[in-house]
Amino acid sequence: MAVVRPFDKLPALNSAVLLLVGSDEGLQRKLAEAMLREKKSFKISIHLTTSLPLPAERDHLRPRIDLIVFMIDIKSKYSLKNVEASLAHVDANFFLGKVCFLVTGVGRVNYCSVEMNAIWKLGEMYCSPVLFCELELEGIRNATAQRLLRMLQICAGHVPGISALSFGTLMRNSTDD
Amino acid sequence: INNYVSPEDAKEELLNECESIWKHMEEYQSKLLLLGTEAMLESDVKLSLLMVRVKALTAEYQQWQKRNPELISTNPDVLLELGKEELQKVKNDLEMVLSTVQLKNKKLEEDLKREQQWHEEQEQILDTLTGIEEETNIEVQQLPKTSLAARAFQELQNKMLKLRMYKEELLDALGEFLEEHFPLPERGRSAKKNSSEEPAVELMTLNEILEILIDKLMSTPHEPYVTIDDSFWPPYIELLLRYGIAVRHPEDPSRMRLEAFHM
Repeated sequence: MAVVRPFDKLPALNSAVLLLVGSDEGLQRKLAEAMLREKKSFKISIHLTTSLPLPAERDHLRPRIDLIVFMIDIKSKYSLKNVEASLAHVDANFFLGKVCFLVTGVGRVNYCSVEMNAIWKLGEMYCSPVLFCELELEGIRNATAQRLLRMLQICAGHVPGISALSFGTLMRNSTDD
Repeated sequence: INNYVSPEDAKEELLNECESIWKHMEEYQSKLLLLGTEAMLESDVKLSLLMVRVKALTAEYQQWQKRNPELISTNPDVLLELGKEELQKVKNDLEMVLSTVQLKNKKLEEDLKREQQWHEEQEQILDTLTGIEEETNIEVQQLPKTSLAARAFQELQNKMLKLRMYKEELLDALGEFLEEHFPLPERGRSAKKNSSEEPAVELMTLNEILEILIDKLMSTPHEPYVTIDDSFWPPYIELLLRYGIAVRHPEDPSRMRLEAFHM
């Protein structure tokens, strides 16, 4: 299947699945490890990939994906292009709160080669929240891991009373101020 | 009425509920699979996404309207355990919030102290500088007029004066030239007051337009854009744009700036 769909499989009990899409594999791994180290009450499984579409051969082994995080490195224009190309392979229903853009490398302002304007436009166009972080610093890495874990918990439906859609709307309204 | 339910029965009850919920899920899942993929319009991703969002939000809203709060179970043991768990969670969350707020307060206090210290230092610097200024003023007044420094100073002042006069001459000449060759369009020649032809706003002369553009560029070089309104006569705007004297804002056609000739 060329397009990732949010509801094509049944979820597993008490677990959530995260898909990280980004061109820097080392950073992805660091973030995934930080997330796995955090204390949590449900099982998580994190899938890493450099771009979509996901290879079709392993599709039946893959569980249902609850949250897709697109990582954009502010120092590399290629990572932005990579993400933009991958966005075409995501089903529209994912953008109802199950997609998030994570901008990394914001600690080094001097090496910025992606314009902030482009990032805001991307967030606006796909109606998804944009988070900023600097994964090279352990403290911020752990904090980002906690934020993503919380988002994952909500997107997997583990928090009663709040759906991925309402959470996504909440995040957008606070940034629109 | 016998309210006592044994623990095994309670467990049975919960397991049966879970089973029935799971069956519902499988039903809905099979229905979802039949729906197929939603393709997004390439031309306007945002619009198609917003429409999908509208549908989803309305659906969710309706679901919430229909829902009534339901009891999880009537078994007092189950309720007790659940209650304890919830309260524990709330207690943990509140403790976290408390420690965060306390840390924040401490940081704010430190910041305040630092800012106050900085403010004091700045005041001291200001006092010293005013003192120095007064002393130098006194010295300057006591200098004889024929010293080397004073003469150089006089020369600079004369140069400034000459430059200022030259600038005034240039501006006057520019003004005359513009008035003669680029006058304002004459208001309707006919005596009839046809309300659709009368310009609604006072038109500015080309001289005034140029003045506004130059002032904006010189005073705030980081924000040189001026918003065009009805008092700018469109043919003059086109004139400036065509000759490269001004350029439009790349993303907003109602703003323009003077081309920076001096850089």
